Amino acid sequence: MLDLLKKYFYICLSVMLLSCSSNTKTEKIKAEVFFNDPQKSSFHISPDGKYLSYLQPYKGKLNIFVQSLERNEVTQITAYIDKSVKNYFWAGNEKLFYMKDKDGLQHYQLFSVNKDGTKTSLIETATDTRVEIIDQMKNDDQYILIAMNERNPENFDVYKLDINTGQKTMIIKNPGSIVEWISDKEGNVRLAVGSDGVNETLYYREHNNGEFKPVISNNFKNTLKPLGFTNQKNHIYALSNINRDKLALVDFDCSTGKEIKVIYENPEADILDVIYSKSSNKLSYLTYEISKREIFFLDNQVKEMYDDVRSQLPNQEVKIIDRDQKEKSFLIKTYTDKDPGAYYLYQDKKLIKLADLNPEIKADQMCEMKPVSYKSRDGLIIHGYLTIPLNKKGENLPCVVIPHQGPATRNVWGYSPEVQFLANRGYAVFQMNFRGSTGYGKDFQTAGHKQWGKKIQDDITDGVNWLISEKIADPEKIAIYGYSFGGYAALNQAIYHPDLYQCAASYSGFINLFTYIKGFPAYYKPYQQMLNEIIGNPKLDADYLKYASPIFQIDRIQTPLLVAQGGKDDRVNVNETNQFVKELKKKNIKVEYILNDNESHYFRDPANRLAFYKKLELFLDKYLHPDQY
Amino acid sequence: MDAKKNSYRKNFMLIISFMVLISISLVIALFLGYNFTKKYIENEFASLKIEVHEQTIAPYNSLFQNKIPEISFYQGFLDSLSAAKYVDTIFKNYPFVEKIQFFDTQISNRPIEDGLRIGRLSLGVKSLYQFGQNIPKDSTLIFKNNKPGTLSLSSGDEFNKIGLKFASYVETADTTKAFTNDQIFKIFYSIASNKINYMNIPRREDIKIYQDLMLKDRAPSPLFEQDIFSFELNPFKLQIKNIHPELYQFISIRPLSYDPILERPDLVTTDITLPGAFADYKIYFASEKGFLDKEVNHRFLPIAIGVFVIYLVLAFITFLIYRNLNVNEKMFSLQYDFINNFTHEFKTPVSVIKIAGNNILNAKELSEKERLRYGKILDEEADKLNDLMNKLLSFTQIENKAIKIKSQEINLEVFSHNMIDAFQLKYPDYEIELNIEDVTHFFTDPVLLSSIYHNLMENAYKYAMPGQKKLEISIYRIKKGLMFSFKDQGIGIEDSELENIFKKFYRIQNRYNQQGSVGLGLAFCKELVNFMNGNITVKSKPGKGSQFDVMLPYDI
Repeated sequence: MLDLLKKYFYICLSVMLLSCSSNTKTEKIKAEVFFNDPQKSSFHISPDGKYLSYLQPYKGKLNIFVQSLERNEVTQITAYIDKSVKNYFWAGNEKLFYMKDKDGLQHYQLFSVNKDGTKTSLIETATDTRVEIIDQMKNDDQYILIAMNERNPENFDVYKLDINTGQKTMIIKNPGSIVEWISDKEGNVRLAVGSDGVNETLYYREHNNGEFKPVISNNFKNTLKPLGFTNQKNHIYALSNINRDKLALVDFDCSTGKEIKVIYENPEADILDVIYSKSSNKLSYLTYEISKREIFFLDNQVKEMYDDVRSQLPNQEVKIIDRDQKEKSFLIKTYTDKDPGAYYLYQDKKLIKLADLNPEIKADQMCEMKPVSYKSRDGLIIHGYLTIPLNKKGENLPCVVIPHQGPATRNVWGYSPEVQFLANRGYAVFQMNFRGSTGYGKDFQTAGHKQWGKKIQDDITDGVNWLISEKIADPEKIAIYGYSFGGYAALNQAIYHPDLYQCAASYSGFINLFTYIKGFPAYYKPYQQMLNEIIGNPKLDADYLKYASPIFQIDRIQTPLLVAQGGKDDRVNVNETNQFVKELKKKNIKVEYILNDNESHYFRDPANRLAFYKKLELFLDKYLHPDQY
Repeated sequence: MDAKKNSYRKNFMLIISFMVLISISLVIALFLGYNFTKKYIENEFASLKIEVHEQTIAPYNSLFQNKIPEISFYQGFLDSLSAAKYVDTIFKNYPFVEKIQFFDTQISNRPIEDGLRIGRLSLGVKSLYQFGQNIPKDSTLIFKNNKPGTLSLSSGDEFNKIGLKFASYVETADTTKAFTNDQIFKIFYSIASNKINYMNIPRREDIKIYQDLMLKDRAPSPLFEQDIFSFELNPFKLQIKNIHPELYQFISIRPLSYDPILERPDLVTTDITLPGAFADYKIYFASEKGFLDKEVNHRFLPIAIGVFVIYLVLAFITFLIYRNLNVNEKMFSLQYDFINNFTHEFKTPVSVIKIAGNNILNAKELSEKERLRYGKILDEEADKLNDLMNKLLSFTQIENKAIKIKSQEINLEVFSHNMIDAFQLKYPDYEIELNIEDVTHFFTDPVLLSSIYHNLMENAYKYAMPGQKKLEISIYRIKKGLMFSFKDQGIGIEDSELENIFKKFYRIQNRYNQQGSVGLGLAFCKELVNFMNGNITVKSKPGKGSQFDVMLPYDI
């Protein structure tokens, strides 16, 4: 009788529990699923548009696969099981060149291979040599143009590479400062970008035999980014913010060094991306992003094609990532905020799906990323993104604030595994493009100079306070987490706003700005000037830098911390992080420390990354207790 | 043997030996306690110095482990201004730092005048600043490399010490690995007597550059900045916190060689060497012997008191056992007497009855007179036996609370007169006076009350000289009770006997007491009175008389 009662009681209890959990049912998705590396990556189309190539893991290492588009056959053309293929390119329609890590110490070897996998041959190069392709040479089946740093690891010279023999001949010697070589559609290298790391100079020559002459120099605050030649002699397309705030698409005359006209300028945002066709010297489209990516078409044919793709793939963002020489076949990547996206081949108005970036992610289980904006205390409009967990009202939620790295980068609207992972765990995720972020003009970016520890931090704090005042965040359950500069910001927030955050996590966050400054070549004056302006002068602004460096502020820290550090990080000194954590532990501050001896600033080993995110999940869970399931 | 086993046993030897034993234990406990306390204090004297040492050395450790490594956080960017700020925090928090020298150092592959050159690597002093508690702010700069050759020898020495260490490390450094704590300590610190030299720890990338400068022939390099600090310390300014003033009378910092055994032989001393830069010094602890003895006594006192208390408790228990034994013995003899008395008591009437019976049996015929006489004798003796047995019975009944009080209202005057009349009929020479004040009726059990009357009146008659057989009964109210006072002019009771008279089977040994009584009367009375929620007291003067006061609760 009693047993029966007991049984009945348990049945009732479990029914109650089940009905409870079914109210807000969100499936907890394994961390592995979010942080899976994509199976197929680095897609390229052969110049004749008949073959597709990509990298795919084979026994855990990336190898090259070539797919015939006519016969739909896939051939694996390399089979390395020790080290992955790093990058590759088509050289003509028959051969591929690729680089592979030799010994894990970033010593690369260059190989060539036929597209059917035969005739793999090593091309002798000095150690540390890297190769980049400059031009496929449309009208030449024998040679391609490459940039290679064989002579001096710091300088890339231009070589002519015989596809069949692997013979390479240097045709332009780098005078020492050139970082980018640009060829015209005939394969003549006529444009070069020189840089001392701070100031950039554009060099130009009219003929193959002429001398490169400097056209214009600008300091680190201005940008003049050449895109390619126009059909007009001496004219190039470029992105420029010289004499204006926002980066605009301009027509630039290299012979006079003058901007001829503005092709497109957005009053609110920099132009992010321009698609340019080299073979026809034509601009296809450009994009900019205030809160979501916007496209402006510069070519009707491209617009037609784009509209066609959009009609076949509604509600997807579409990017063209490669095309063949004749511009008949296009490689397209799609994505949304809830969908990591897929690769498609667009040929003769037909779309063929090539691969999903992460097939295990189901868009309907992901969370919507909403553009938001708020006003900082001094009146700047700050744009950001808010991701609310699925099946939750946007009210009184545990919240993770993620300041981005940089600070000279930005958050964009789109799929982010990190954001979706945390949202799936029940957290509202808040990202913001604080001052100093790119994409909103020169002034907005320079407003962050020398304000790493002050106004940038104020923007973050203002954002969190806005989130609280909008009743979105539960003020008792807010955490801050970031990578690199974001980690630095997280530590800073914890130091100066201990009441705002329950915990803070720093993944390779800078803990000492002196060390960060020291990381740049000390002897070079322009560098120092740039650093003095962006970060601070280590001598004159020592007080500010101390204020802004977490390692000098250990005494203020009360908030539980998670610190992750790579032992080979060249920007954050592992000795200092060890000391930092040691001091905190002595003070009985709750601090969890992940030290990966063989990692650098960014954890390259997926296992280490995954372990970090799992630890982050536990850490946040411990201090925020989200009631998600 | 058997007889002994069953007889009452009382062995005072046992108690005495027990007392002796615990007394010996007491002495041993006190002795051992004292010695242990002494040993304990001696141990503490030797061991607690570590606590003092730790407290004293804590600021030094904090300087060494936290404040000095902070130099590295500046990554060589310190200049006179920021160094002055840094140094100020040190002087403020670490009074034992006397002087700080700051070598603003430049590393390059250029030849230099002042500094070190190893291979192609030169460590040059760009400028040297000194800071101190008493050094004015305007004279901090003592060397600048625009006046080469003016670097003093002693300053150069400190610089060379750490410079050489560093250079020899750079020569063989493995730049793929992070520094271990041990390496940091060995390379970037140089510790001498009262001096700590420290060089900021460069990043691995910097070490790689320095290595290249040293080993490879390159064009003149830029100048890389390193900061070297030399701290001059004064051990005598370490603050000693005597956290055990009860143990240590004097604590001071002394050179390692200090030992005043000849001058002060009365001192108990211990010492502990200071670490690191203070390794030539020790903390010296001393206390006078008397001081420590005082502390021993101080600590021993509670132990001694504790031991004594235990001893006293044991002794008291022993006493209680002894007393119980005594009481039991008395009880035993009382019961023995009682049986004796009782047997006698029974024996008299029984033998009288036996004689009377015999006489009647043997007489051929009985005269009327004889018949009456024997009849009377038999009747009287049977009454006596009956009386005896009733007494015994009711006594045990009361003792076991087997009877119940049957209360009713009585007229005190009538009740008392009845009792008096009955006694005067029995004893014509008994003079009894009755005084009743302010009360007429009383609610009680008349049978029990009459028993009390009977016993007390019987005793008053029995224990009085002929001609003195007088009794005064007074009844009056006090507070919530009714007092029955029986005052006689009898022989009285000795003070020493007063407390015993209410005990069972107790009879005062005297000549008036040879016949008749069993010693139950007063005990019985007391039992009755207690049973009726009253009490009975006695006042007596030998030869003058006794007064028994019975107080019973009076409910209105």
